[in-house]
Amino acid sequence: MNIISLIISILLALITGMFFLGISRKIMARIQWRYGPPITQPLIDVIRSFSQMGISHGKLFDFGIILSFTGSIVLILFLPIGNLCALTSGGLLAVLYLMLLTPFGIALSAAASANPVSSIGISRQFLLSFAYELPLLLILLAVMTHYHTISLVEIVNIQANSGWAFGSWALVLSGIAYVLILPAILGVRPFEVAGAVQEISSGPIAEFSGKHLAFVTLQHALHTFAALALFVDVFLGGWTLFGLLNPISGTIWGVLLGIIIFLIKMLIVLVLGIFVNAVFPRFRIEQAMKYLWKWPTLISFIGLIIVMLVN
Amino acid sequence: MDRNKISKWLKNPGKMANKYSFHVVYFCTGCGIIEIPPSITTRWDAERFGIIPVATPRQANLFLITGYVSTKTLAAIIRTYEQMPEPKYTVAFGSCPINGGMYYDSYNTITSLDKYIPVDGYIAGCMPRPEAIFIGVTHLWKLIDMDKADGYKRYREDYVHYRANQEQILGELDWPPLFSKENL
Repeated sequence: MNIISLIISILLALITGMFFLGISRKIMARIQWRYGPPITQPLIDVIRSFSQMGISHGKLFDFGIILSFTGSIVLILFLPIGNLCALTSGGLLAVLYLMLLTPFGIALSAAASANPVSSIGISRQFLLSFAYELPLLLILLAVMTHYHTISLVEIVNIQANSGWAFGSWALVLSGIAYVLILPAILGVRPFEVAGAVQEISSGPIAEFSGKHLAFVTLQHALHTFAALALFVDVFLGGWTLFGLLNPISGTIWGVLLGIIIFLIKMLIVLVLGIFVNAVFPRFRIEQAMKYLWKWPTLISFIGLIIVMLVN
Repeated sequence: MDRNKISKWLKNPGKMANKYSFHVVYFCTGCGIIEIPPSITTRWDAERFGIIPVATPRQANLFLITGYVSTKTLAAIIRTYEQMPEPKYTVAFGSCPINGGMYYDSYNTITSLDKYIPVDGYIAGCMPRPEAIFIGVTHLWKLIDMDKADGYKRYREDYVHYRANQEQILGELDWPPLFSKENL
């Protein structure tokens, strides 16, 4: 049973992540009054990349991208997808550690490729990670203090009984702070500093070709999935929908409907993110850091103080 | 369109994916680049065919040379072409890469690009409209279907010949040969 849930959650994350990449390209095109590519276009791109003869820049280059890809897969296993959660121990602390593995692996690869554009991109990626890790830590501290647990499954179950965290007045400030840093975690337009195509030739992935590029795309899909799933699990109540699923919870239909509701919630958050991506220009890296260490940090800090006063 | 024909996809997924996912390096040598922004933005929208511009030659599989080629830019074109992973396709845009166009008697302009790198197809005109780019792309699809877009194979087979031509016009090249005797 556990192995089946492992495989299903990885496959579900890969397919949904690729679908999310496709739908974001389609929606961006519709906003710009274009017809847009088919939704399967990222999948076609990945197949093309696998069929091309890529160039490797040494052992470290191969190892870094594998580390990044497997790090994303392990991160997926710690996140409950609906009722499905492969690894229940560890919870939020494991997620916090594993979220740093993704940029670290890409950084190893980019360093091995010895491209100056890649090193600029990877330094920006790390600065951005440092900038959003501080408010993220404060937000998750507030959540852990309020619910007295580090387990994501328990957080979802508590929300099933007492309503979404985003709707409760103790955690609403933390939720708002997470919404503010979500574009930075996803790496979309106001914070697209690392992979800036026009500015630094797509940054860290400038030297990737063939299979390496395909793995970067798959890893990007998994990272998008993980960032959205964490938000939905912690603040939007995971699989719950105002007690609608309570009569059939525990049955196979309850599990299936729970996963579908979870994915629909992720899709709604993603579409809101794409709207932000479509209309905003790009920050410079020091503007991004100034913004992330000012408003989201302030709001999440006030949220943490409120939570500590309540308890 | 045969994008939805499953049997073709199952038979040769790499070839079909190469057809419908052209990641393009635009080499902005001349006036032809002015036709590219309308073709990739709202008016003609090349992305519905899977064609998007990429920033580095490592991620690309289509090389679009827009406009005349001077001797100085020829070196950059050769290096960009050699950095692209196989399979790769080259399309020359406008009449200048075909025979020099209006610069046919200029002292520093290449009159025939095909002598230095293999070209899979030409889009003639001065300037071609963006519609002509899409017609060129559909012709390239047909060539890929018939396995006739084999410029990268020709480059591998006749590399000594191409390298000699490049050295004849550029003098001593300051980069090592792409294919040595062992991996030819």
